[in-house]
Amino acid sequence: MTKAYINGIGCISPQNSIDSEWFFDTINPAKGDYFDAIEPSYKEFIAPNLLRRMGRAIKMGVAAGNIAIQQAGIEKVDAIITGTGLGCFEDSERFLLAILNNDEQFLTPTSFIQSTHNTVGSQIALIMKCHDYNFTYVHRGFSFESTIQDALMLFEEGKETILVGGIEEHTPNFVILNRRAHKFQELQSNTPIWKSTTPGIQMSEGTAFFVLNKNKTDKSLASVDGIQTLYKPKTSADILNKLRSFLKLHGLILSDIDVTLMGFSDDVNFDQKLQELLPSIEKESVAACYKHVCGEYHTASAFAMWTAVKLIEKQTLPKVLAISDKAPSKIKHVLIINQYLGINYSFTLLSQC
Amino acid sequence: MSRRVYITGLGMISAIGNNVPESFLSLSQSKTGIGKINHLTTRYKDEFLAGEIKLSNEALADLVKDNNPALNRNSYIAMLAAKEAVINSGIDTNDGLRTGVISSTTVAGMGKTELYYKEMFEKDDHLNVLDTHDCGDSTERIADYLGNVDYVTTISTACSSAANAIMLGCRMIKHGQLDRVVVGGVDALSKFTFNGFNTLMILDREWCKPFDENRKGLNLGEGAAFVVIEGENTLNLRKGKALAEVVGYANANDAYHQTASSPEGYGATLAIQQALTMSGLTPSQIDYINMHGTGTPNNDLSESFATKAIFGNQVPKFSSTKAFTGHTLAAAASIEAVISVLSLQNSMIFPNLNFTTAIAETGLVPETTLVNTPLNTILSNSFGFGGNCSSLIFKKA
Repeated sequence: MTKAYINGIGCISPQNSIDSEWFFDTINPAKGDYFDAIEPSYKEFIAPNLLRRMGRAIKMGVAAGNIAIQQAGIEKVDAIITGTGLGCFEDSERFLLAILNNDEQFLTPTSFIQSTHNTVGSQIALIMKCHDYNFTYVHRGFSFESTIQDALMLFEEGKETILVGGIEEHTPNFVILNRRAHKFQELQSNTPIWKSTTPGIQMSEGTAFFVLNKNKTDKSLASVDGIQTLYKPKTSADILNKLRSFLKLHGLILSDIDVTLMGFSDDVNFDQKLQELLPSIEKESVAACYKHVCGEYHTASAFAMWTAVKLIEKQTLPKVLAISDKAPSKIKHVLIINQYLGINYSFTLLSQC
Repeated sequence: MSRRVYITGLGMISAIGNNVPESFLSLSQSKTGIGKINHLTTRYKDEFLAGEIKLSNEALADLVKDNNPALNRNSYIAMLAAKEAVINSGIDTNDGLRTGVISSTTVAGMGKTELYYKEMFEKDDHLNVLDTHDCGDSTERIADYLGNVDYVTTISTACSSAANAIMLGCRMIKHGQLDRVVVGGVDALSKFTFNGFNTLMILDREWCKPFDENRKGLNLGEGAAFVVIEGENTLNLRKGKALAEVVGYANANDAYHQTASSPEGYGATLAIQQALTMSGLTPSQIDYINMHGTGTPNNDLSESFATKAIFGNQVPKFSSTKAFTGHTLAAAASIEAVISVLSLQNSMIFPNLNFTTAIAETGLVPETTLVNTPLNTILSNSFGFGGNCSSLIFKKA
C-alpha cells in the first residue's frame, strides 16, 4: 500500500508549537472554556504587501505551510490540499455583518473574496506559482482526514510531493454565541481529559501543515501508512471491529501500536464511545490524548498528526499527554483515533521510517 | 477495482425545473429559468434578475417530507436532487455495498445564518442555526436521507466545486475505496453571495449574455445536482444501465489572481489539456463543449482564449447553459454534468441564450438555437475563485 513520507511540518496552535524545539514542556492553559491560537510574528513568513490584506486563517495557514516547506527543503509541490471546517470565518463574519449593519450598502469586496473556503490553498498556490492540483475539503471532522486520503491516492496516480494542511479559526463573536448555546465548559486543568462526566468542549483553533513525499528521503520524519473515516458508527464495538480490520490491512494488530492518541473532547456525550473503547486500547497499547492541549476544532486531527510525528521523532511520550500509567518502550507505530461531535471518527496510522 | 467509471443516475433541481424531466423540458424549449427575484430577501430584488428555484422553503419541506426545523434551503434541495439521482440509478444503498456521498457547496448554511445572526446576540431562540452553518451539514443530511452511507466528504473550491466532487468520486471508485458514490454540489441563493458578487461588480442587471461582445456579467442562480457514479464491476454485477462514461477529468490552478482569471486562460488550458490526455481523445474528437461561460467579461474572454489554445481554428460546437439556470456556483458543474448527459442521451445541444455579437478578440460563435446532432463526447468546464480550473469529459455509454 502507498505510504506518505512526512518531510516537513509546521503547526500554529494554542501552544508554542511554532517553535520547532517545543515538545509539550510548557503548556498554556485554556482561557477558561476556550483556546486561542498563539500567532507568530508573520513578517518572517509572509511578504508585507500580502500580509496586510490577509485574514487570520490565511495568515496562519500560509505561515504554517511555509514552515513545513522550509523544513522539507523544497521549492515546488505537485499538489496543495487543504482542509477546514469553517473556512475563513473571520472574513465571512465581517462581510456578513457589513451586509446586516448597512442594509446591503457601502460594501467592499475584500472580505467576501477572502471568505471563500479555498482561499488558503489558492494563496499558497499564488505565492508558490503552483499550477497543479488544488483541492479544499470542508467536511467537519473529516476535513483534514480527506486531505490525507486524497494525497495517498494522488501518490498512486504519480504525484511525488504534496502539501496538505488543516486550518481553523474562530472569532470572539463565534465564541460568545457558542458559549450561549451551552457548547463549552471550563477546562479544569491541563491534565488528560478522558473521564468527563459533563457536556461541553473547549473550542479552539489552529493550523498544521505537512509536506508529504511519495518516497522516503533523508528528510523523512515519519510515514502516514493509512487513514480511514467512520461516519456515525453505531457502537464502540463497531469502532473496535473496524479498527482491528484497519490495522490488519496494514499488517498490524493493536499490540503493535506503541501509542494511541485518542480524541477525547471533554464532552461526556461526544466522548462516550471513546470512553467505552479505552479499556481495550489500554490493554494492548498505551493510551494518550491531546485536546486538553490543543482544544477542539474541526481539524484538531491535524494537531494530533503533528503530535504523532513529534512522538516518533523524540521517542518519548510526554507525561502531560499520557492516559495510561505505563510508558511505551519504543515509539514505532502511533495510531490516532479522532472523533468530532461523536459523529465523525477517524483512524490515522503513522510509523517510524 | 474498476478502471472505467460510469454515470448511472441523474438528479437536479434549479430555476429550470424541480427534477430532471422538468429541466429537460425547459432546455429543449429554450426556456430560461432566470427572472424576477421572489424568494430571496434583498433590497435589490427589483433591480436584478436571478435563477431561483420556484418553490418556497415550505414547499421544499413538503417535497422532502421532513419538517425538521434544522433543515435549511441548501439541505432541502441537496436532499431532493441526491434522492432523484439514486432512484434514477436503481441502486439500493441497503444492499451492503460501500456507498459514498461527496457533495460540495460554497454558501452552505449562510442563507439561514444571515437571517438570524444579529438576533442571536440578543436572544437564544435561533442559536442552533450555528450548527447548520458549515459546509458539511447538507452532506450529512443527504447521507442520512439516503440511509446506509459509509463515506461522506465535502469539497469547496468556489465555482468549480462540483466538478471536483465528480472527479474525486471517479477516483475513489477507481482506487477501490467505494463501490458507488453520489457526487455533486449545492448552493441556495443567499444575501451573502448576492452582495458578494454585486460588490465585485460582475452581476448583469439584465439577462446574462455569455460569450457576447457586450456581456456585462452573470446572473446568480441556485440549485443542486447529483449524479450516481459506479465502476464497471459493480454496474455489471447488478446489470445496471450506464447513462454516460466519465473518460477524462483534471484540476489545475491558474495561480494568477484570487478572483480573476489570467487573460490567456492558462489554468483553464492546463485543465482541458490534462483531461483530454487522460481520455485519450484528440481535440478533434470532442463533439461539443459545455462552457463555464458565466457572462462576465473576464471569464468568457479567458475561457475563449483557452479554447482556442487547445482547439486552434477547429473549435467544436459550444454553448454556455448559464443563461438558463444562472450561475449556481458550487452546483454549476454538476448541473452542467446532468445537462451534458441529457445532451448525449438526446443528441441535442442546448443553446447559448441571449447571444448576438461575437467577442471581437476571438470571434467565437456559440450555438444559439437547439441543435439536433449525434454527440459522442462532451467537454465540460468549470472555473472558480482561487484560480481553480476543472474540466470533465463525458462519453456516450
